[in-house]
Amino acid sequence: MENQKFFYDNKIVRLFILATLVWGIVGVIVGLLIALQLAFPVFNLGLEFTTFGRMRPLHTNAIIFAFVGNGIFAGVYYSLQKLLKTRMFNDTLSKINFWGWQFIIVLAALSFVFGITTSKEYAELEWPIDIMIAVVWIVFGWNMIGTIIIRRVQHIYAAIWWYLATFLGIAILHVVNSFALPVSLFKSYSIYAGAQDAVVQWWYGHNAVAFFLTTPFLGLMYYYLPKAANRPIYSYKLSIIHFWSLIFLYMWAGPHHLLYQALPEWAQALGVTFSIMLIAPSWGGMINGLLTLRGAWDRVRDSAALKFMVVAVTAYGMSTFEGPMMSLKSVNQITHFTDWTIGHVHIAAMGWNGGIVFGMLYWLIPKLFKTKLFSEKLANIHFWISTLAILLYAIPLYWSAVTQWLMWREYTPEGFLAYPNFLETLTQILPMYSIRVIGGTLFMVGFIIMMFNLFKTMASGAIVNDEPAEAPALVKLGARNPAQETVHRWMERKGVRFAVFTFIALAIGGAVEIIPMIFIKSNIPTIDSVKPYTPLELAGRDIYVSEGCYTCHSQVVRPFRWETDRYGEYSKIGEFVYDHPFQWGSRRTGPDLARAGFMGGPMYKNAAWHYNHFMDPQKMNEQSIMPKYPWFAKKEIDTGIIPAKIRAMQTLGVPYPEGFDKIAVDDLMKQAQTIVADLKASNIDIEPTKQMVAMIAYMHKLGKDIMPPPAAPVVADSMAMQNNQKEVVLLTGEADFAAAKQIFQTVCAVCHGPEGKGIPPAFPNLTDSVWINGNSPAQIYHSISEGNIAKGMIPYKNQYSEKQITQLASYVLLQLNKK
Amino acid sequence: MKIISNLLENIEGIQIYYIIGLLIFVTLFIIISIRTIRMPKSEVEKIKNSILNDNETEDFIPS
Repeated sequence: MENQKFFYDNKIVRLFILATLVWGIVGVIVGLLIALQLAFPVFNLGLEFTTFGRMRPLHTNAIIFAFVGNGIFAGVYYSLQKLLKTRMFNDTLSKINFWGWQFIIVLAALSFVFGITTSKEYAELEWPIDIMIAVVWIVFGWNMIGTIIIRRVQHIYAAIWWYLATFLGIAILHVVNSFALPVSLFKSYSIYAGAQDAVVQWWYGHNAVAFFLTTPFLGLMYYYLPKAANRPIYSYKLSIIHFWSLIFLYMWAGPHHLLYQALPEWAQALGVTFSIMLIAPSWGGMINGLLTLRGAWDRVRDSAALKFMVVAVTAYGMSTFEGPMMSLKSVNQITHFTDWTIGHVHIAAMGWNGGIVFGMLYWLIPKLFKTKLFSEKLANIHFWISTLAILLYAIPLYWSAVTQWLMWREYTPEGFLAYPNFLETLTQILPMYSIRVIGGTLFMVGFIIMMFNLFKTMASGAIVNDEPAEAPALVKLGARNPAQETVHRWMERKGVRFAVFTFIALAIGGAVEIIPMIFIKSNIPTIDSVKPYTPLELAGRDIYVSEGCYTCHSQVVRPFRWETDRYGEYSKIGEFVYDHPFQWGSRRTGPDLARAGFMGGPMYKNAAWHYNHFMDPQKMNEQSIMPKYPWFAKKEIDTGIIPAKIRAMQTLGVPYPEGFDKIAVDDLMKQAQTIVADLKASNIDIEPTKQMVAMIAYMHKLGKDIMPPPAAPVVADSMAMQNNQKEVVLLTGEADFAAAKQIFQTVCAVCHGPEGKGIPPAFPNLTDSVWINGNSPAQIYHSISEGNIAKGMIPYKNQYSEKQITQLASYVLLQLNKK
Repeated sequence: MKIISNLLENIEGIQIYYIIGLLIFVTLFIIISIRTIRMPKSEVEKIKNSILNDNETEDFIPS
């Protein structure tokens, strides 16, 4: 048959490669910045635009959607044309795909910097950008499926199955997870609430890993690894089994992100079961990749591209074993909320995604520019620096995670938490965060070396934008002959048919997981005492979301003794029915806040404490790594949008009374005045319309509805105190003072200051002669033991032994007060 | 749609769904595996070598 002449579109591949390099270094630099912020909070720069809460989603989105996303497009656009022996379906669609994606990236970066976010991890973008993503993604799929339809080869190679699964998977995930009710151009509320929102979000979050960071990369592996090694893939049969198994199983595993949290047991069991099963197809892919190199390992020695791909496939194998292990409930209870998760995802991102992209670029760019790589030596240096960087990044985080899970769960022989203050653990892991910075720096240096090497390579060659090629036209086949054609070959004949089967495999898991959670009422038992947020609390919650507080603070207490002792009563599903979106978080760089509003609970702090803490956390405790938020005291609450927010909530089913939107601002001001008066009593002047007031209102709402206020009088009666006081003999040993000083500096100093001078009148000075409840040893012991709940001082008899409280009383009276 | 939402709201014994899911997977897995393993070797070799036969690959080492 006569050959047809056509031209490959190399220009679009070059554009996506350049975008990959540019956004890649941006994402790595922002990653380094947030690593620095965790080790040294001064790197928050004192600006609202550069706090960790805003930079962290910028980093994750820049890496996932800008660097990795453009890398995927570059790899797909090149390999698709070559595999199908045709030019892309439509050049205009290719251009819309490229420029639309870059426009979205720029808008995303700006929105994060300005605090415009939905707070749903890896889906933080607001609704207008979500719509743009959907449009550009459809353009990508349209172009890809169109290219498959106009192909000149009979067979649709394995890599393309993965590309199709990527397109379909992300389309389903993005649309379902992004349903939201807009309030304004920059603000919307998820249509799902609480546990429903959590299930949908982590179904998305888990499968974003699957269908953006795994399936396209398996497709790239199936093309670029054989090409770079000059060896066919090890087993094509394995690729078929591993493809269908993996895309079917992945969709079910999302709930493993929510184990022991406020989720029905059946959903948790579903997530665990399918997560464990995922090991098999994942390792099928890894084995197929590594065995492709059998007999060609000499090439690995000489080629940096292949070295990167070997590390990538190895990291993939490690991550896909580690992930299912972390989804076992017994393992998850100690790894969840720790830095293990961060180490795990970075092994995958730096090793697997980074490795495939780097390997692909080192192979592809010389080919595209018809030249040799500028320096194989520099590429090898990049490889070794990058590999070392991964280790220096991950090992400290694993170490940190082990420290967290041991310290968070440690009890004293008397049955108290050994480290009741969250900062005690954080202080121990800060050195690990510093080492992580070194790992990140090395990774960035390697990236810069690669950029130099690749730009020099491009400069030394010349790309042919429209590369001529020829191939015979595709011969249309008749009806399937079962004796000569397998079912899979028949499915591959038509791209749309193959896509339909792929869609069915993907949709089953999602439907079984999502539909029952949304519709079946018995899954979300309500709690009568849980009330909707007041307008002021809602405003505070929106600020909490906007600042990305969820990136460090969780809001869900799991049913473990070490969590309920530290934070308070465990969380129930019905608590979250008005939470659009949910704020459970996924890690604890800071303490859980689910019970921050329960007066008398271990997490309660009064308004003056919150004010001082937001203004300068390091002033309250110099070891804190939380950014300062002084602009809360200056910036106004947007009261103009409050009625629209109330109406939106009503539309979503939140039972505000009819017409409440009209009196919502008055209600807000009324509640704000009570907080202003409370702060005024502590000599803090603030206007009721400031964001600080809304944040304090929100903090005091958390957990309040399901925890009744303490029945005992909040301020101890002096006569009763005297009657209940026990004889206390002060301890004067050096060891006693040392033990007490350690507790004082980690716990008491948060309010009373490191030298005990406090911030009167909110936090009494312990070094002067003014004593609110007396200064006898017994009275001091009683004050510490019973606390002062109204002022935010918890009863420390629940956290420390009698001996420890006696040591503290002795330290206060004999060391701080020099009595 | 109301009929569907009423039906969905009152589904009982939802726990059975993931067992059904497992059964669907195991059944399909067995069928796909058997059919795939029985694919003619010559056809498989042809497919997997095809991406290297594009006049771009040097020193091609067939499996």
